[in-house]
Amino acid sequence: MEVKEDRFWLYRRKLGDFWRLYRRSRLGVIGLIIVLSFVIVAVAAPWIAPFEPFYFAGDPLMKPSSTFPFGTDQVGRDIFSRVIYGTRVSLLVGLIASAMTIGLGSAIGLVSGYLGGWVDNGLMRITDLFIILPALPLMLIMASILGKGIMNIIIVITVVGWTATARMVRSQTMSLKERPFIEASRAIGSTDLHTIVRHIVPNVFPLVFANGMIAVVDAILSEAGLSFLGFGDPSSPSWGMVLHYADAAGSTVNGYWWYIVPPGICIMLLVMGFAFISYSTDQILNPRLRRR
Amino acid sequence: MRDYLIKRAVSALVTLGLAIVLNFFLFRIMPGDPTRTVTGDFRITPEVRRALVHQFGLDQPLWVQFVLYLQNLATGNLGVSFQYRGTPVVAIIFGKRLLNTFVLMGSSISVALIIGITIGTIVAWKRESKFDVSVVVFSLMTYSMPVFWLGMMIILIFGYYLAAIPIAGTITVGLTYSNWFQYAADYLYHMIGPFVTLTLSFVGFYLIIMRDSILDVFTEDYMLTAKAKGLSDRKILFRHAMRNALLPMVSLIAVEVTYLFGGATMTETVFSWYGIGRLIYEAVVMADYPILQGIFFVMSILVIAANFCADVAYAFLDPRIRY
Repeated sequence: MEVKEDRFWLYRRKLGDFWRLYRRSRLGVIGLIIVLSFVIVAVAAPWIAPFEPFYFAGDPLMKPSSTFPFGTDQVGRDIFSRVIYGTRVSLLVGLIASAMTIGLGSAIGLVSGYLGGWVDNGLMRITDLFIILPALPLMLIMASILGKGIMNIIIVITVVGWTATARMVRSQTMSLKERPFIEASRAIGSTDLHTIVRHIVPNVFPLVFANGMIAVVDAILSEAGLSFLGFGDPSSPSWGMVLHYADAAGSTVNGYWWYIVPPGICIMLLVMGFAFISYSTDQILNPRLRRR
Repeated sequence: MRDYLIKRAVSALVTLGLAIVLNFFLFRIMPGDPTRTVTGDFRITPEVRRALVHQFGLDQPLWVQFVLYLQNLATGNLGVSFQYRGTPVVAIIFGKRLLNTFVLMGSSISVALIIGITIGTIVAWKRESKFDVSVVVFSLMTYSMPVFWLGMMIILIFGYYLAAIPIAGTITVGLTYSNWFQYAADYLYHMIGPFVTLTLSFVGFYLIIMRDSILDVFTEDYMLTAKAKGLSDRKILFRHAMRNALLPMVSLIAVEVTYLFGGATMTETVFSWYGIGRLIYEAVVMADYPILQGIFFVMSILVIAANFCADVAYAFLDPRIRY
């Protein structure tokens, strides 16, 4: 019991240290503000959006007006409301997909690095293959096999994107494995699982976290791309999906800038927010960058 | 050095082997009748279907199918397309499309690299100046934009509002050319849009990597030595810093070949560029699995070869590397 409490305060203190350093990074704070704003928009979507995203509110393809700030789409739905509700899907898919990516990557990296030998060899060959293969075409091919839908988009992003995390976790695990405290843990008879969960995971976690922010960036961009190409779920449209419909309506060749610009800016801002956070966390957690 | 090369070559071959296995099984995990994915399409006539079933052994156990699949690969038989009603996949991939993609990819990656390396070096030198900050912000912006959206914006601004570039296609449809030069001019005119899109989407990333790499080099002891020797700034920057900072870029280029296929898919789709990227999209939409399987195979060979070349180049360029 006492040990657990010690741990709690240790993590608490470490988190406090981290936050003190993080607060000083201007980019990091800006990124956090951007991401939190989008989270608020996503949560408060029903109160912010003037219309339901599927409600036929006006005539098709109306220009921006005070009722419809971004105009209406080809069936007369309010684009502004659709962009607001799209925040939910884009954010959620990005977060879930990157969490799964990191989970899968960490698991493979831990097993590979801890066990070594032929398991490591085999897993790393597979990692090499997935690193080398072009991500988007591979995702498209898999998506075309699995079919449309948000769950499939998440699966495809996970299966294609886990490699970077796996490699990083593996090399960390391998160097941790040689440290005395791991040997001590094994010497007192801990199982492999206990050693991994208790001693290796907490030490790998900071880097996984910094890496995770970039995984969110990749996941959001991948989701946008796949939805733009028509793999999204029409019943829960993301920003990429809004752009898919914008393209279908011929917005570029007809000059409907109000249909194209808002969702694109949203994707860009959200991605930049996470990229800024990732940059700042990396500066703090990656010791190699501190000496500059 | 020889051992290193052999080791790399073996590892490249193993990766290729895995890619082939993945390619085989990926298209057989689909729900329903496994033969459907290779032949079962209404666009294929019964005679062709029977021939295919025999050729790929689709009525036989999986391992026999795999052996036959390998045999067919070895003889360059990638099956036939659904959407083009039985045209061999090889004939569709290895034609104008591959050439168009190479022209577009090659030119944009080269220009993006040249710009990225020079500007990246300069901003690293002028670190934290106004120029540096604006370049970094610009790079982050282009990196954060979805490629397809950047393409749409370029069509909207330069195609629709300014009417300076064509909106779609590789050449003007229905136009006859009196000479080769006219054809080239029309082709290049159509290439501006996708070329600018791809270059912009990649240059930011190169810039940041090059800047980081140079900043890393600045912390090395030999930079201090160079300064102590009294070398000019220009010499230190371009002779010592840039040359060493270029090393990570070499392996990056190989990885970029991988990314470019993705960028090309989006860009070619948005601009209706008649290349492999658009073919991927079309095949996905039309559920033309043989084409996808063929592209997967060709793409695997290309990226694995690119990575192998990068490994070799790296070993030659960096004498510190001895495995």
